[in-house]
Amino acid sequence: MITLTHYFILTGILFSIGLVGVMRRTNLLMLFFSTEILLNAINVGFVAVSKYYNDLSGQLFAFFIIAVAASEVAVGLGLLILWYKRNGSVDLNSLQMMKG
Amino acid sequence: MENYLYTALFAPLASSLFVALFAARPKMLFTGIVASLLIAISMIASFVLLIDVNTYGPLHVSMMDWISAGNLEIPFGFVVDEVSVIMMVTVTLVSTIVHIYSIGYMDHDKSFNRFFSYLSAFVFSMMILVMSDNFVGLFIGWEGVGLCSWLLIGFWYHKHSASWAANEAFIMNRIADLGMLMGLFLIYWSVGSFQYDEFFASLKTMDSTLLATIGLFLFIGAMGKSAQFPLHTWLADAMEGPTPVSALIHAATMVTAGVYLVIRCGELYTLIPDVGFAIASLGAFVALFAASMALVNNDLKRIIAYSTLSQLGYMFVAAGLGAYWIALFHLMTHAFFKSLLFLGAGNVMHAMHDELNIKKMGGLYGSMKATAILMSVASVALAGIYPFAGFFSKDKILEVAFNEGAYFLWFALFIGAGLTAFYSFRLVMLVFFGEKEYEKYGIHPHEAQPFVIYALLPLGLLAIVSGFLEHTFEGFVTRLLAQYEIHIEHGTEALLIAATLGIALSGIAFAVYMYRRGGFPKSWEERFCYKLLSNQYYIPKLYELYIMRPFSALANFAWQKIDTKVVDLTVDLIAKMVYSTGEKSRKMQSGNLSDMLRWMVVGMIGLLILAFVYRPMV
Amino acid sequence: MEHILSLLVFFPAMAGLLGFLVAKESIRAYGISVSAIEFFLSIILWIGYDSTNAGYQFVEYYPFISSYGMSYYLGVDGISLFLVILSTFITMIALIALSIEKEIKNLIISVLFLEMTMVGVFVILDVIWFYAFWELSLVPMLYIIGAWGSVNRMYAAIKFFLYTFAGSVLMLVGILYMGFLYHEATGIWSFALPDWYLLQVPFETQLWLFGAFFLAFAIKVPMFPFHTWLPYAHGQAPTIGSIILAAVLLKMGSYGFVRFSLPLFPDASVYFLIPVAVICIIMVIYAAMIAYAQKDMKQVIAYSSISHMGIVVLGTFAMNAEGITGSIFLMLSHGIVSGALFMLVGVIYDRRHTKLMSDFGGLASVMPNFATIYGIMLMASVGLPLSIGFVGEFLSLVGFYRISWVMTLLAGTGIILGAVYMLVLYKKSFFGEVVHAENKTLKDLNAKELTALIPLVALVAILGIYPKPVLSVIDMSVQKMLVLMDQKAVLQETKELLFKANTIGGTN
Repeated sequence: MITLTHYFILTGILFSIGLVGVMRRTNLLMLFFSTEILLNAINVGFVAVSKYYNDLSGQLFAFFIIAVAASEVAVGLGLLILWYKRNGSVDLNSLQMMKG
Repeated sequence: MENYLYTALFAPLASSLFVALFAARPKMLFTGIVASLLIAISMIASFVLLIDVNTYGPLHVSMMDWISAGNLEIPFGFVVDEVSVIMMVTVTLVSTIVHIYSIGYMDHDKSFNRFFSYLSAFVFSMMILVMSDNFVGLFIGWEGVGLCSWLLIGFWYHKHSASWAANEAFIMNRIADLGMLMGLFLIYWSVGSFQYDEFFASLKTMDSTLLATIGLFLFIGAMGKSAQFPLHTWLADAMEGPTPVSALIHAATMVTAGVYLVIRCGELYTLIPDVGFAIASLGAFVALFAASMALVNNDLKRIIAYSTLSQLGYMFVAAGLGAYWIALFHLMTHAFFKSLLFLGAGNVMHAMHDELNIKKMGGLYGSMKATAILMSVASVALAGIYPFAGFFSKDKILEVAFNEGAYFLWFALFIGAGLTAFYSFRLVMLVFFGEKEYEKYGIHPHEAQPFVIYALLPLGLLAIVSGFLEHTFEGFVTRLLAQYEIHIEHGTEALLIAATLGIALSGIAFAVYMYRRGGFPKSWEERFCYKLLSNQYYIPKLYELYIMRPFSALANFAWQKIDTKVVDLTVDLIAKMVYSTGEKSRKMQSGNLSDMLRWMVVGMIGLLILAFVYRPMV
Repeated sequence: MEHILSLLVFFPAMAGLLGFLVAKESIRAYGISVSAIEFFLSIILWIGYDSTNAGYQFVEYYPFISSYGMSYYLGVDGISLFLVILSTFITMIALIALSIEKEIKNLIISVLFLEMTMVGVFVILDVIWFYAFWELSLVPMLYIIGAWGSVNRMYAAIKFFLYTFAGSVLMLVGILYMGFLYHEATGIWSFALPDWYLLQVPFETQLWLFGAFFLAFAIKVPMFPFHTWLPYAHGQAPTIGSIILAAVLLKMGSYGFVRFSLPLFPDASVYFLIPVAVICIIMVIYAAMIAYAQKDMKQVIAYSSISHMGIVVLGTFAMNAEGITGSIFLMLSHGIVSGALFMLVGVIYDRRHTKLMSDFGGLASVMPNFATIYGIMLMASVGLPLSIGFVGEFLSLVGFYRISWVMTLLAGTGIILGAVYMLVLYKKSFFGEVVHAENKTLKDLNAKELTALIPLVALVAILGIYPKPVLSVIDMSVQKMLVLMDQKAVLQETKELLFKANTIGGTN
């Protein structure tokens, strides 16, 4: 039987993968992928909990997150392409203008 | 009579302020004349008051309120009673003569006007000191004379030694003033008033420890002003000032303020004979100690300064032993002959072009007969030879010491009398008689202007005759001061007088004998005793080594080590810590997105842990 | 007369705002006129002041944020009256003597803003507003030191600002807690000082609150060991900055003790009496010694300020009318005397561009008027009787003698050490031969400087000879405050000490 715990474990594993990706990757594109994994990990959690409580709000939230993630990727990819055109690289180490 | 009181008090102030208007201008003769006239007016008013007090008794006025706060009320009040009127007469008389004398003495000085302004200001302060009816008023005068003394010692401020001596005098007096202030505070908190009459009225209700404490504190103040050991070094150094200043301030008036204070508080000191005896002992010690330093000194003015110190010791013996009227009497006669001595010395200095070393003088009698005679008269009076003034007053002090059974004190004073006679005539002999040493230095001495000599004549006269006023004086001042009975048998008394006269005369004779033959051999100067005395018992050196230098070093240490290295550095360290924390944490802001995300994760984990630790307990 | 206090507070600031429109050439005259009008307003205040009434007068009260008990509440009593007059007087004199040419417009406007904050601190009775004025006073001073100071000015300005600011933050906490306590006790919010005066605070709480307020006041005074900002600030500040800083800003700290610490926390004040007195004695002696070691004339006077402020605070903690009245009078006299001394140093600095005593010597013969006025101020500074300096010092020490004679003796060494460093300064700079050729041609005081200095000299003499009109007004309010302290004290020991300190007789 697949219980809520199993879903949480899956969420945790997915989230950790996303988190490691966010921290380790230096390619901006890969960063976006990792962010997507993070968001989807949360989505899985929301849906599972929603099913468990028989409450639709969780699933509703998941849809919202998908929508927000999509728009974020749209804007983000646009900026990324702009940056690539200007600098010829999407490596994070070349992006250090905010150094304090 | 109030008008006379205010005239006596404010004429010197008027003089000082008027002359001050011209202080920065070159010499103007009229400033000196106006100042002398105004001081003379003050003197006449004082004499009128003397007669008035004699006929109608004391006069007490309250001019206006000064300070009031809480329970404290201090008015500007003045009292003219038997004691203060004697002081007023003495002060104004000597001041008038010194003013007139100074017109001649300061003739060539470019700061002639400024000098008279200061000198009159001094007279005003001194009048406040003696006339005030409360302790704080006395303290005004006390500090006022200190200020004028500072101004006048440092009158020739371009001389390093003069301004140094002025500062020394002021600071030493301040040390004593602190003691006096403490005494005043104690009086206030035990009586609730600074008025003399209220204080004396409540003496009986106070316990003796309290009285002794007050007495001691006040005497510390007196020690500073009257230059008693160990605060005596300033007086000799104060001779850097112009000679009229030395005559007026550092011989006749200001330095006797301490004695005046003890006499004024006679009712207090009568109740605490132990403190009185301590004062007398210190006085006797100083009498001998200062006389010994006068023996070997070669500086004309310093010899007289040490002599003043020694005579102040005599006065303190009398005051300490309860013979207040005798102390006051000696104060008065001493003022006359000592100022005469100083003013004569001023004439000599002028004649010798400011040369002070008596070894370089000699034989001046030929060219300055009048001065020589006046100074000899003053010296005889100082030595205490009948019928001169000093005999009456000083001899009485010895009798008092004997009468109290303080034979040790009597013996010290007895030896002191011999020493006094010796050093006075050593000075007279070296200056006026013997070889004309000055010829080697190409100096052509001349007598002072005639009016200067005439101005000195009253002092000369008083030095001779004022002793005969003894009984009138006693009758007058003992209306206020305690009577003092001397119970010595006639035979013993005569013997004592004879002995004192004898030692004084032999001192004179010895001096005359020795210095007619050219004085002591040079080899004496190599001896330890001579060096000890001529270096003033090494006390100034000790003060420099063990007080001034350590103070300087400590001050520098406090500034450069403690203040900048400890206190300020701690403050800066705190600021630097904050700053360096920022500097270090700045590395977190590498600008690299990965790093930021990592920090974000760290923060998130931190928050999760916090949420876990502080989770709501179910 | 109804709104005279508001006028006094805001007139200089409003005039300062208008000053931006005034042409650069006439800004000096404008500044002097504004400060003179302000000074005359404060004199009118004194004339209108009813000297038989010890309470607050010319009170203005408008609710400000009434739900939190904040109000616009002004009033003046004997304690603050003369400090207001001192502020307006010193500002006027300092502006008259002003010799800076650079950016003079900004300078004068800053000074006028500073005047608003100074007057505000002394007349405001709402504590939140008090805090606001207290902190605001730092800003113009920061600007004055930072913009017109000498070489190391940024360091000094920032040190001054951060140090005093950090101290006040704790006071803000104390203020808020005190407001909270008032709310707890009465159910309504109030930050009005007269309301707070009615609140009896438990002893333990008093100790904490006293500490919070103490730090702010102690840094401002400045008390040892929080004094190190002062020498830097004075060393770097332009003359006008030093004058106002020494004459008025330091008084805010000692005023705070009288206005807040003593009446709000009587038991704590008595409890901390001895430690505070020890700090004062350290200040007096230690600062006097450091002053002696200085080579820079201005630093001598800066450290002498610390030494004198020690006696001010000591007098405040004497807990009797003599001492507190004396300490308030000493604030006035120190304001006048130290202001004058800093001005005199400024005079010589303008001529020689140095303040080192070794660069002078023999000035008495070159600049006789300057030397005379300097001498008068010096004697007032060492507390010569019949000068203004004596009255306050004497009363403060008399007052504290009742608490402890040993401590009074130790603090009294200040009068000796004060004479030492001042006379040494005078000897080094004014006496002796003129050794430096540059000094031979120095000009004596000019008309402008004399105009600024002569009123100060006159005050030194007048208030020294007849201080009574000032003393009696102060005394009345102080006695009222002492009664209040006695009523509010929660401990029996405090009441006993207050009684003993104010009674003649008996041994101590």
